[in-house]
Amino acid sequence: MRDSKVSKGEKHQQRRDVLKWLLGTWSIAVAAPGLKSLLEYVTPRKPQSTQTLIQRIASTADLEPNTAKVFKVNKDPVIVVHTATGQFKAFNARCTHLGCVVQFSPDETPPHFICNCHGSEFDINGKNIAGPASRPLTPYRVIVRESNILVAKI
Amino acid sequence: MEGIRTTVRTPSRFFEWLDERTRFGTLVQYLSTKTVPRHKHSLWYYFGGLTLFFFIVQIVTGVLLALYYKPIPELAHESVRRIVNEIPHGWLIRSIHNWGANLMVASLLIHMFSVFFLKAYRRPREVMWLTGVLLMLIVFGFCFTGYLLPWDTTAYFATLIGTEVPRTLPIIGDWGVSLLKGEEQVGSETLSRMYVIHIIILPLTALFFIAFHILLNQIHGSSSPVGVDDVKPAIPFFPNFVLRDFVCWSLGAAALLTIASLSPAGLGEIADPYASAPVGIKPEWYFLPLYQTLRMAPATIFGINGELIVNLLVVALSTIWFLIPFLDRNASKGVRSRWFIVAGIAMIGYLIVTIILAYTT
Repeated sequence: MRDSKVSKGEKHQQRRDVLKWLLGTWSIAVAAPGLKSLLEYVTPRKPQSTQTLIQRIASTADLEPNTAKVFKVNKDPVIVVHTATGQFKAFNARCTHLGCVVQFSPDETPPHFICNCHGSEFDINGKNIAGPASRPLTPYRVIVRESNILVAKI
Repeated sequence: MEGIRTTVRTPSRFFEWLDERTRFGTLVQYLSTKTVPRHKHSLWYYFGGLTLFFFIVQIVTGVLLALYYKPIPELAHESVRRIVNEIPHGWLIRSIHNWGANLMVASLLIHMFSVFFLKAYRRPREVMWLTGVLLMLIVFGFCFTGYLLPWDTTAYFATLIGTEVPRTLPIIGDWGVSLLKGEEQVGSETLSRMYVIHIIILPLTALFFIAFHILLNQIHGSSSPVGVDDVKPAIPFFPNFVLRDFVCWSLGAAALLTIASLSPAGLGEIADPYASAPVGIKPEWYFLPLYQTLRMAPATIFGINGELIVNLLVVALSTIWFLIPFLDRNASKGVRSRWFIVAGIAMIGYLIVTIILAYTT
């Protein structure tokens, strides 16, 4: 009896509301997994680790005291410095600010690393001492064996 | 006489035929009834059209460069060198593309600040402002993604820095960086992504927003500035304003050709990802304010990462800039709000000071 009091126009409106709701739900149900798949497609996968644990990079004769060189270790640039006191130290050469490759300044007192992009500076132990970089350079372990320089991630 | 009649009738018949099928006559009729206000600030009206002109130049020269360019790290630098040294007029086309980008940014900034100071964003043109700010971001996106393509040292380090900038942003930072780079370091995946964004995604997006921006301009017309009393009789948009626009485009073309010919775009050494960044490396002038701010920011500010604070500040300022029409409520009432003018002047001052500092320090 109550249903019969609902006018024809109201019935049409109810039907339209149900159809709108179904259309909306269906659109979301189709769009959400589609968007998820799209995001998965464009997000790069993390590379499988094929890194060499210890790598020979040079001979001790290649580096004069108070000089440094950048070597490719796995995919990273690693700066190896032969200090004036005869020590070998190695760091990931990527500046911890925005990733530029740092440079060794042997003529400064004391000698240190400098990033030419935004002027960050790091001491001989890789510690950030000036500029916008907020973290020290990532150190590598250096092993000198029979005049070969080997580096390894710590 | 019969012959003369025929030659006169032929084009009119053709246009009648065309009009019946396209109704383009309605558009011409509309454009000739539309008027553009005339006053002492009328000059600023031409910079929107000039920006569009430079954009068209970029599309044309970009298509020509894409015929020879190869987006692979091993080949990219060599292909650009070939365009410059071996392909007839290649140096000029590349130089026009390079300088065109600079002039497009300059013209766009002048257009945007003139709209800001003349309060042209006020009701009912809020959506025009929104599309304009989005177009500005798209143009900066063009400049950034195009910068890596020559694969020389400056391009490499500029992209390395640019792609690392968003890393400190909460939640989306790391994901955004990996999305831009496509791999851990800037490499072949990054070059492919920058190339696709530069020649497909951004042009399609830009064309959509430009069409929308121009459509809104045709609907609402040009705005008369708030507080200007010396308004002269308006001029018809077509043909009067269009012809003046054409003169402006011709001057823009002359300036672009002169600069591009006298100072051809250079090409540095091929990028070496394992070499130290060269001394004195700097981005293009329009990115210098951000560069200098990042350089001046201390490592930590009140214990918070300085870079994060700069990033959050840029996001906050961009959001405020985007929402200006809704924040400056006085403008819709025809009142010039002093604080917005002061803020605009302060912003221009900051941009100029940071550019000078970046060049001199």
